[in-house]
Amino acid sequence: MSFARLQHGGPVRQTVVLAGLAVFVVWSAGPVLWLVLSSLLQQKALIQQPPDLSPANFTLTNFTTVVGAAAALGRGIFNSLVVALFSTAVALALGAPAAYALARLPVPRANGIAFLILATQMLPGIAIAIPLFILISKLGLIDNVLSLGVVYLSFNLPIVIWILRGFFTSIPVGLEKAAAVDGVGIFATFWYIVLPISIPPLTAAAVFAFVEAWNEFFFALILTRQHAQTVPLVIAQFAGQYQTVFGQMMAAAVISVTPVIILAILFRNQIIRGFADGMMKG
Amino acid sequence: MFNSLSRRNFLQAGAAVGAATAMPGFLTREAHAEAVALNVFAPLPPDPAPPGAAKFSEEAFEKWKAANAATVEYETLAWPQLHDRMATAFASGSSPWDITYNCGWVPEFQSFLTPYADKLPKALVDDLPASSFSTVTVDGKRYGTIFTLSLLTLFYNKEHLELAGFKAPPKTWDEFKTYGKELTRDGRHGLVLNYGDPAGIGGTASYWMVFLQQAGGKMYGEDGLPIFKGEEGVAALQMMVDMMPSTDPGSISYASINDATNVLLSGRASMMMNWPFMWNAGNDPNQSQVVGKLASAVLPAGPAGSASIDGTDAWTITKSSKNPEKAQQLIEFYLDADVQKRQVLDTGWLPIRLSVLADPEVQAKAPNAAVVLEQAKHPYDSFVTADYNQVTVAVGTEVQKALQGQKTAAQAIADAHDAVTAIVKRRG
Amino acid sequence: MFFVAPAMIVLAAILGFPIVDSILLALQRVQLTGGAVSQSWVGLENFQRLFADPVFWKAAINTAYFSVMEVILVTLISLGVALLLNHPMGKSGFFRILLIIPWAIAPVANAVLWKWILHANYGVLNGILKSLGIIDNYQVWLGSPFSALNFLLIVDVWKSVPFVALLMLAGLQRVPQSLYRAAYMDGAGPLQSFLHVTLPTMRGVLAIAVVLQTIWSLRVFDLVFVLTRGGPADATALLNFLAYRVTFNFLDLGYGSAIANVIFAVTFILAGLYVWLLWPRQTGASR
Repeated sequence: MSFARLQHGGPVRQTVVLAGLAVFVVWSAGPVLWLVLSSLLQQKALIQQPPDLSPANFTLTNFTTVVGAAAALGRGIFNSLVVALFSTAVALALGAPAAYALARLPVPRANGIAFLILATQMLPGIAIAIPLFILISKLGLIDNVLSLGVVYLSFNLPIVIWILRGFFTSIPVGLEKAAAVDGVGIFATFWYIVLPISIPPLTAAAVFAFVEAWNEFFFALILTRQHAQTVPLVIAQFAGQYQTVFGQMMAAAVISVTPVIILAILFRNQIIRGFADGMMKG
Repeated sequence: MFNSLSRRNFLQAGAAVGAATAMPGFLTREAHAEAVALNVFAPLPPDPAPPGAAKFSEEAFEKWKAANAATVEYETLAWPQLHDRMATAFASGSSPWDITYNCGWVPEFQSFLTPYADKLPKALVDDLPASSFSTVTVDGKRYGTIFTLSLLTLFYNKEHLELAGFKAPPKTWDEFKTYGKELTRDGRHGLVLNYGDPAGIGGTASYWMVFLQQAGGKMYGEDGLPIFKGEEGVAALQMMVDMMPSTDPGSISYASINDATNVLLSGRASMMMNWPFMWNAGNDPNQSQVVGKLASAVLPAGPAGSASIDGTDAWTITKSSKNPEKAQQLIEFYLDADVQKRQVLDTGWLPIRLSVLADPEVQAKAPNAAVVLEQAKHPYDSFVTADYNQVTVAVGTEVQKALQGQKTAAQAIADAHDAVTAIVKRRG
Repeated sequence: MFFVAPAMIVLAAILGFPIVDSILLALQRVQLTGGAVSQSWVGLENFQRLFADPVFWKAAINTAYFSVMEVILVTLISLGVALLLNHPMGKSGFFRILLIIPWAIAPVANAVLWKWILHANYGVLNGILKSLGIIDNYQVWLGSPFSALNFLLIVDVWKSVPFVALLMLAGLQRVPQSLYRAAYMDGAGPLQSFLHVTLPTMRGVLAIAVVLQTIWSLRVFDLVFVLTRGGPADATALLNFLAYRVTFNFLDLGYGSAIANVIFAVTFILAGLYVWLLWPRQTGASR
């Protein structure tokens, strides 16, 4: 069989792949579809058995109500963007060099240090919440978007380092040896040679750091008050003591997942290009 | 470890204060003498929120602020997260608020609150039900004021009852059981409740406490140790177990009351114990399929009569407040007769003042107010103690096991009794 | 060393004090009385209480089951998804965006969404299954201990697959074409090239995925809080939820810290084990 056939597979394999993709779409999109549908339905239609999808029940009031209370959601989205972008950018800036060093450079006990970095994530947030609160409030930085970003940095950094370290260790050494022979220094090697071919893992790490910061709830609850509220807190507002206004919460969720989707679409070329067929063709 | 941190900070703060007082501050003193800044921590509407946070009495509020030279800043948060944020603030040693909302946590946070309610004007206190202070009183001192009458009452679907041939709601346990059985038909169930969360007011344990009181029992004796192991405790649980065939099977999985209320509002359950606030939701055409079909009644009486539990929504003042007198005046404003009237007419939260509850306009707008008042004539102890959360988790878990048939009622109560004894003893 | 120092400094500055403080708290008895927080040293008493507590052991067993199953399921499903999206037919950006969406939904909204989907009385899952004739009656998915725990698992897997799949996809993309060609020249079929080219090159990525997923599965909280509150009868009270309940609901900070530190220790040991077993030996040369 031809090499292309090896890649694409025959009719059987193609059917399997097609079926697999279909299952994947249902699995991923099903609940999301329900999320969107719920945001467009009246509450009383949602509590029917089964939920009543007749056209009469569809309404935009959930969205208008949520947008009407726009101040909170708008500020929440703005705060979340600042926090997420800040912690992602700094996590990559600090994490990529660190990961490279731990993967390649003769750092003594690199494995030990790397594991120690990871170990900072192993203590559940519950345990460090109160001591962290005490620390941040003594610094007077409660309810501050940048301080929240710095805290998130401490959660993202270890994972970013580990992801990138894994990829850096699997780059064949040939490239760097060639650069060393040409007299290129470590930093230049890192900047001009290693980074450009590491776009896929860098993108993966960036996406991870961003989404994790975007979604984080517990520390946002503990460390903010009124001004630095992030999106997860605003969405949680719709679940009260006696009532959960489900449709409105879903409308808020739809509105808040939109920036992430937009960023994903904007950067899809990076994502797709970065994921293009291997770095060494042929 | 954080003690050394605060000592250093204290020295730094001390230096800063010293430097500040050395400046010519007397010129600015007059300007600052009047304005007082109050910080209030409250739930978000539709949960009970004060004027300014919820949309009622806003003009009166502005007038009060001007007359009292005070600015009021609200920090609002979704109800389920309130306790977490309060716990964190208190556990770090202090809180930034003057007034906080409290719901059954007064004994728990008692050491961070001031017993201001002992100093409320007599005219106000006389207009409040005496028993409304029981959940906010610790060691004989009153730390809070309940601001809405919120007791569990029976909500039922009139139409379902008529179809089954019942003219009036059930008045006794036996009738409750009979009704439940008869009403379980055509894909509906007689009763729905949220048994999913063992803890807190409105959790599984608190429902059992309703039946406990209806059986004539109490949670604790004089010494603070539990005394519910007897007949009453078991009978109460047995009642719940007996009702299980008539209860919606999803009840054990309904972790919040919302999950159960929706079943009632969709017309697939006939009876439920619920809070006065849900009256509005039941008659909201956007949320409810049973608009106009709901009615409420006093809870069916057990061997010792009817009983209920208190939702205990209260205002408290923190010990760290710099303006406790002004804060008390703000709370008195929240409890003002006109404000209370607007509270019920505009937001649906019943007033606590007896005079306002008796007002014909209020009774017309909130027909269930009369039922709640009637319920208030019977015991409604929520048995709130400093260990309330832990106790309700322990008791509620045992109740859940009995409801699922994993244990007999007697065994579950005995185990719950032992667990609570251990909890109380550990506090010392 | 300069490369590593900034990252280490940041981590130490932010997390140093809280982590140390938490370990110290586990050795204390903390009570909120008299308007302040009183702390007294009690040595290992919290841990003794822990190991004698049946609630703790039940939570530990449930968490162990949950964690193992989650790591297995997430790894396998993510690998499958990554392979699908790496195939020429799956290369469209649409699939990649679809992949990210479940992960991008805010946690509270996600949990509440699933609570409504799984609702025993009006949930859409019941509705769909019944109209397809797969079930006769509406099921109480979160009503029995076994069912509740497994549905919690399914929901968390759903939320966790996107990231791991993304990671594996990036890993797959980095397998050089030259290796596949070489294998092809040697007469390898698709399965063999998968086993002998793809998997070994992905070893690092697989290792990271397993380690990270282990750490995260031991920290599940949001879903337990919204979907079941630990019920029914503590059947889904996983260790992290237990730590939360003890710390924030009971305000028993010392005991809660002890539970959290047990989670820490277990995670540390497990992660260490996985790294030691799975991490690719050579640091660099692959060909």
